[in-house]
Amino acid sequence: MSALMADAAAKQPVVTLLRAHLACARMEFRAALTYRTAYLSSFAMMLLQIWLLTVVWKALYDGREEVDGLGLTTMTAYATLTTLQYHLVSPWRSSPIDQRVREGKVAVDLLRPVGFPGQMLAGQLGWASAAVPVLLVALPFALLIGAGQAPASTAAGFAYPVALIGALLVNQLLGLLLGMVSFWTLEVSGALMAYRFVAQFFSGALVPLWFMPGPIRAAAEWLPFQATAYTPAAVYLGQVEGVGIAAALGVQLAWIAALGTLASFVWSRARRRVLSQGG
Amino acid sequence: MRGPRVYLLLAGAAFRAEFQYRGNLFINIIGGLFYQGVGLAFIWAVLDRFGQVGGWGLGEIAFLYGMRLTAHGLWVLPGHQLIHVDEVVIEGEYDRYLVRPVSPLVQLLTRRVRLSSLGDLAGGSALLVIASASAPVDWSPGAVCFLLLAVVGGALVEGSLQLAASALVFRMKRVSPIKFAIDMIFSDFGNYPLKIFGPVAGFALTFVFPLAFVAYLPATVLMDRGEELAVPEWLAWGAPGIGVVLMYAAYRFWERQSRYYESSGH
Repeated sequence: MSALMADAAAKQPVVTLLRAHLACARMEFRAALTYRTAYLSSFAMMLLQIWLLTVVWKALYDGREEVDGLGLTTMTAYATLTTLQYHLVSPWRSSPIDQRVREGKVAVDLLRPVGFPGQMLAGQLGWASAAVPVLLVALPFALLIGAGQAPASTAAGFAYPVALIGALLVNQLLGLLLGMVSFWTLEVSGALMAYRFVAQFFSGALVPLWFMPGPIRAAAEWLPFQATAYTPAAVYLGQVEGVGIAAALGVQLAWIAALGTLASFVWSRARRRVLSQGG
Repeated sequence: MRGPRVYLLLAGAAFRAEFQYRGNLFINIIGGLFYQGVGLAFIWAVLDRFGQVGGWGLGEIAFLYGMRLTAHGLWVLPGHQLIHVDEVVIEGEYDRYLVRPVSPLVQLLTRRVRLSSLGDLAGGSALLVIASASAPVDWSPGAVCFLLLAVVGGALVEGSLQLAASALVFRMKRVSPIKFAIDMIFSDFGNYPLKIFGPVAGFALTFVFPLAFVAYLPATVLMDRGEELAVPEWLAWGAPGIGVVLMYAAYRFWERQSRYYESSGH
């Protein structure tokens, strides 16, 4: 009996902790849904963007069936897929930290009995998941306007969700790291803007890595951003296969480990620098 | 001529306020450059591999891009504050404008300046100058004059749509999603030769949403590619005039709609 109770006591914190993180995620999920017109119009714009990219790629192919062994249909499917993914995994609104630091709300966050980075990460994931319901609604339209393809193989079909979760984690860890910069300098909006566009370009969301000029491609391969857009799309479309899939997922995992370690190190430094603005 | 003088006075004050934060100024300009740079990076990367889009090479696209971006910067520098029109009306800041002896629109436009627009303007002009050298244009004095007029006209076209959309705020209260959509169409669709979009979208982007007049039409006739246009060439040469007409119409629309202002009661 007492052994059971001790067991329950040991288990309790894990469950509570999980529930606490879920609550953080739910708060941000709701916040994201508050501005409905902005939220919905962003999906109309997403469909426009898919149409634009499809037309541009068609014009670029200019009647050719294939360029570098890649068919136009694969390319338009890639553009459609990455544009859809981009709403779930995007460097925009990566972290609420800078705003919370500026408004002094970080003091409340620190008082909560849950670790600060965990709260923020859970919140970011909650915010991102607000895209899921409308993505499901937008999917048929996106396929109508752009181009869809079934996963290249069974293996690709199973590996894709894993790669997508990996992409989400890499992106959110990058966002967390960047958000923590605001413990050292308050004004991050300009730097954040630059970051988003570097991240977007090197993620392969616009130009797939295989069409990037040599040196740019080499840089993209060594940066973490490709793991956030190119990797899942390339897995899905069969541009990496077999051992390649395992390798691509391995690279994602390595980035998650590296960025996670870096984030906990930066946090160990940042927590001593917290300076409340008295909001 | 009291209006322009008051405008310059207020705009000058807004500039001085923003220049107090030098470090931030620099970072904002860089941020503005990056914002527009990613579109150019995309075009550069794919044209490096594909050579042309719709028969236009990198030099021609860069010229088109430069014209569009300069026009955008030229409009956004004075017009950026329209982006805040929602909060100005909802939170009753507009009440204050009404009791001061200066046009409310002028007060709205000069409430702050957004310095990242300097990045757009600087980046656009630099790109335009560089691309002008390699673009297949016969640079007679007349052509240079037309280019300058066309850029100003392009700024007026973009500004007129944003002003007209802002005017809807007096009835709709929230118009920022509409304005973001307009901005996105200008910045994403404006960088490509219009003919790749096909006849229906091409017609719509000329006569329904006048994107073509910002840069595509004037750039095409300047590069002497008039034969690929779906509209008569004189319409392309008249693009700067279209900008003036649209801006005048948008201003009248704003004036009329502003009569429907309801104070939120502060």
